[in-house]
Amino acid sequence: MKENTDKKEKEEKKVCEMTFEESLKALEELVDMLENGNLDLDKSLEIYEKAVEIRDRCRAILEKSERRVRKIMETSEGIRKEDIVKE
Amino acid sequence: MAVTSAISVSDLNERAKAVLGSDRSLNDVWVSGEISNLTKHTSGHYYFTLKDQRSEVRCTLFRGARNSLSFEPAESMKVTAFGSVDMYVVKGSYQFNVSTMRRSGTGEMYLALEELKKKLNAEGLFETSRKRGLPGYPRIIGVVTSPTGVAIHDILKAASKRFPADILLAPVLVQGEGAAASIAKGIELINTQNVDVVIVGRGGGSSEDLWAFNEEIVARAIMSSKAPVISAVGHEVDVTIADLVADVRAPTPSAAAEIALPDISSEMRNLENKMIRAYGSLSSCISAMRSSFSILDSKLSVKRAKEKVDVNINAVNELSRRSSFSVRSSLNGKNGVFLIIDAKLSPKRAEGSVNQYMMNLDDLSVTADSSLLRNISDKRKDMNSAEQRMNSIDPMKVLERGYSCVEADGRALVSASQISENSNIEIRMRDGKVKAKVNEVIMK
Repeated sequence: MKENTDKKEKEEKKVCEMTFEESLKALEELVDMLENGNLDLDKSLEIYEKAVEIRDRCRAILEKSERRVRKIMETSEGIRKEDIVKE
Repeated sequence: MAVTSAISVSDLNERAKAVLGSDRSLNDVWVSGEISNLTKHTSGHYYFTLKDQRSEVRCTLFRGARNSLSFEPAESMKVTAFGSVDMYVVKGSYQFNVSTMRRSGTGEMYLALEELKKKLNAEGLFETSRKRGLPGYPRIIGVVTSPTGVAIHDILKAASKRFPADILLAPVLVQGEGAAASIAKGIELINTQNVDVVIVGRGGGSSEDLWAFNEEIVARAIMSSKAPVISAVGHEVDVTIADLVADVRAPTPSAAAEIALPDISSEMRNLENKMIRAYGSLSSCISAMRSSFSILDSKLSVKRAKEKVDVNINAVNELSRRSSFSVRSSLNGKNGVFLIIDAKLSPKRAEGSVNQYMMNLDDLSVTADSSLLRNISDKRKDMNSAEQRMNSIDPMKVLERGYSCVEADGRALVSASQISENSNIEIRMRDGKVKAKVNEVIMK
């Protein structure tokens, strides 16, 4: 039982850590599973719920408003990066 | 001088035209200057003014001559034009008819450029097969350009509306002394930073301004870049060696940002299309389940259950009629079992399990879309009507409406012929039973 929850947590953690590309691939796989079918309702709903979760993850990435804009410089102490303040 | 010797304006202009046309110093000459007031006529002829610091002259470039040029003339372009002076008789103005033209600096600089192009081409640097594809969804974009130029400004502006990648700028000199080395160094530096794609470029300028992007050291740095490179040098018409070596050439810096980063709204649409497909599959799964539900529904119908029980009760009655009292009592026990079965098959229980199922559906549908919810509520309506159907045939409901049920020896009587005078009967009513003795049987 505990193992199960651990496994589930691990999986959930994975979704929110996925890159956009990975999420999109996972979503495509789920949709394919649904389309290739022969699943019972419970399984279909489970996959659909997962698809909704991943879709939300993708949206969250797309809607991410802050993006870092930095410049890189080589100094005597090595490579340094600093934020560019937008005018 | 006699007035009679006067000539017409046309004649004057014709004479001037003849003089200009015969003077060798005005024919087949090279003239250097800068193009301005360029007009591209729909006929295909170009008209412009060639000027230097002090003077200007109107020029024509007829379609035939223009077609043989290796470049497209543009405003402010420095050129050396070959042609002859001519008189435009109608206006009495003279013009320079250009028969061919070269961009200035076509001398040594262009010669060297051609040499370098040949050399790099022979090495295969411009080969399409060598060029890499771009990542679909970059996380970090490296930009190698001037920190103060229009290019970075345009890139940031275009990127702000696109897929949200971080941007890392390697500030470099893009023109003047040491620019080429600075650009090459910037490309090298940005490649230490795990960027997914690199944009190298600058905004528009004269061919001299863009010259650093024609240098071998820049070409080599682009070739050695780990991340694929998008070149974005000047305007669409400017093609430099950097453009030829780069994996992808963008016409302008903002176009480079658009090439590197997908459009957010089309990605959103793509996501929704996937969800529509997923939902379509889910719907068909639900309707498949609904049809198997109605099969179960009919299996569970009270009518069928009742029929089964009746058949059994009749068999028991038949047997009991012929058997001794003790056998009868044991059979009565069995009858009790049937009643239990009857109860298990009762509408109440069926309704209870339907409700259970609906609650499960409710739980599952919380996260689903409203369209899904709508579908489930359709299903619920179906279930409610099934429930109503079940209720309407429940015998207890019939009693509610004022009917009574006559029983003898625990079985329901349906015919007066089953009853004899002076026998004991039970009348089952909504809220209890009446034990009665039969006075008279009147057949219809």
